[in-house]
Amino acid sequence: MRSLSPALASLANVFRIPMSLTPARPTVSRVCHETLARRSSPPLGPITAAMQSAPFSSTSSMAKRKSGGPNVDKRITLIRYFLYHPLTPRPLRFSRNRYLRHWTIHRAWQLFQAKQRSAHELELERQYQAMQSACEELRVGAGDGGRLFRKSMIKKGIFTDMFPIEYGRMQTEYPAGEGWNHDWKRPERR
Amino acid sequence: MAHCERASKPLLQCLRNTYTRGLPAIQLSARGFHSTAAVGEAQPDSQPFHKSPDPELVSSPRLERRLMRQGTTPVGSRRRRAALQGSANLPFEQLPYQCFQEARQVLLADRAEKLEEIEKMRQRIARVEALSPEEAGGKNSQKSRVHAMQQHLEHLKIHADINDPLVKRKFEDGQGDMSKPIYRFLADRKWREYRRKILVQRITQMNVVPDVLPHCEPTVDTKLYFNYRQVQPGDFVEAKNSISAPKLDVQLFERGEKLVTIAVVDSDVPNVEVDSFDYKTHYLAVNVPISAVNTKVDLSQLSAESQVVLPWLPPVAQKGSPYHRLSVFIMEQKDSQPLDYAAVKAKETDRDNTLLRTLQARYHLKAIGAHLFRTQWDETTLEVMKQIGFNEADVELRRKKVEPLPYKRRNPSSFR
Repeated sequence: MRSLSPALASLANVFRIPMSLTPARPTVSRVCHETLARRSSPPLGPITAAMQSAPFSSTSSMAKRKSGGPNVDKRITLIRYFLYHPLTPRPLRFSRNRYLRHWTIHRAWQLFQAKQRSAHELELERQYQAMQSACEELRVGAGDGGRLFRKSMIKKGIFTDMFPIEYGRMQTEYPAGEGWNHDWKRPERR
Repeated sequence: MAHCERASKPLLQCLRNTYTRGLPAIQLSARGFHSTAAVGEAQPDSQPFHKSPDPELVSSPRLERRLMRQGTTPVGSRRRRAALQGSANLPFEQLPYQCFQEARQVLLADRAEKLEEIEKMRQRIARVEALSPEEAGGKNSQKSRVHAMQQHLEHLKIHADINDPLVKRKFEDGQGDMSKPIYRFLADRKWREYRRKILVQRITQMNVVPDVLPHCEPTVDTKLYFNYRQVQPGDFVEAKNSISAPKLDVQLFERGEKLVTIAVVDSDVPNVEVDSFDYKTHYLAVNVPISAVNTKVDLSQLSAESQVVLPWLPPVAQKGSPYHRLSVFIMEQKDSQPLDYAAVKAKETDRDNTLLRTLQARYHLKAIGAHLFRTQWDETTLEVMKQIGFNEADVELRRKKVEPLPYKRRNPSSFR
């Protein structure tokens, strides 16, 4: 069955719908395309339309019906088509206890994540403070009037002419597959 | 054997087998939670099941009928009862699902943490309050510090309980204890999600808020009942239903008791002489105590000696007049201090010429709740008018005919 996506095919298998007899559900894109293309005929001007549909009418033009025929939104038609298609699985329903259990687990997971986040933030803050106090110590306590500190704070040539090699690629959790690029040469300074 | 027993038998057998095989310990310990024995077991010390059937578990029609003849109705559906006969009847928090139990451990640990923090916060507040203002750096800063800490404490109290599934279940069942902060918080949130929005929309769209009072920010949930029937905000009420004073259900979401003034004002009394509309106070009561647990206020039951200033006057709309908006305002008295009833009673005797704005300024009131209903001419209005002695009952109001503008030539020579 080529017209079914793998997910739908597995669903059909689960629900014991024989694949050969399966009503071939067209793909979303094709149905959308067809439905939307159906109204592609150019809209007629009001006068010609009135002449074609009704040669004579005693209704005044102000009181005429605002649109010809029922007003159908194609998007709603499509939503309904796919929502009530027999191959669409039923909505997920939980009993009350089961829903409460689910809620409990969800809340616990959210709580756990929030705690992790706040711990991470605290750790970053601690690191920042430690760095700052070290700099302050260098500035005040080194006994050279802060010369060393000023020297170390000069950012000339950092991130201006060249990137450091470790920022040459995206930072990843694990090393790259090919390991070290032994052929790498430092580019010539211009 | 009833249908459902036969239907659920394979399922139950399957469940029983898995229970006994997989969870012998729980099955054993679960015996303690049984309020009654399973059907198959014989209780040695009491009568067999068919002699004294349990309304929670009975599933055969004959036993049910016997129970009903004795006056107790079986609980739930027969299918549910049949399914319960074979279950271990574990309480919710002991259901043997691993992830659920782990989640409960996490939540319980968090709750213990929060309780510790609450205790710490209380001690800190006590310490700051015990300081003299000079030590704490000024009276104002001490006050604001204590206030901020108390707010944090309230937050902590809510956060300690908000993750409890049993609290959630109790609140959803409507069995929440309003004296506890968590249930008050949940009720407030639920009210603000929908009902408060509706109320605010109605009182602003019908222009009650600038007409009767300049501002109103409702913080208490108000429900209005005429003849035991709830009236939605802005609904039309028949004249014969509003003969007797309504009942109010004023749900406060804060701790403590408040003294409030309740006023019902009609802002659409037609005044033909000046071609405009007047106000009329239909009800005024002061010093009404409300709290989070004491919510019911029956306007006809308030004491006439110490609370009701102007007793209930049934609202009527003359034939032909546009609908009358009757707004109910719950107004908090300053610092919950009682007003001097005798002075108020002596001063506010005129129903027609008292504006609610004046009252608000005179007695330092603050509107914390509002409700609105409307009344118009209907079949029962005439009777009510006769009952209360309304003197213009036989007058029908008509719109003045608008004189057409004088004829003007449409196409004068100046257009050319």
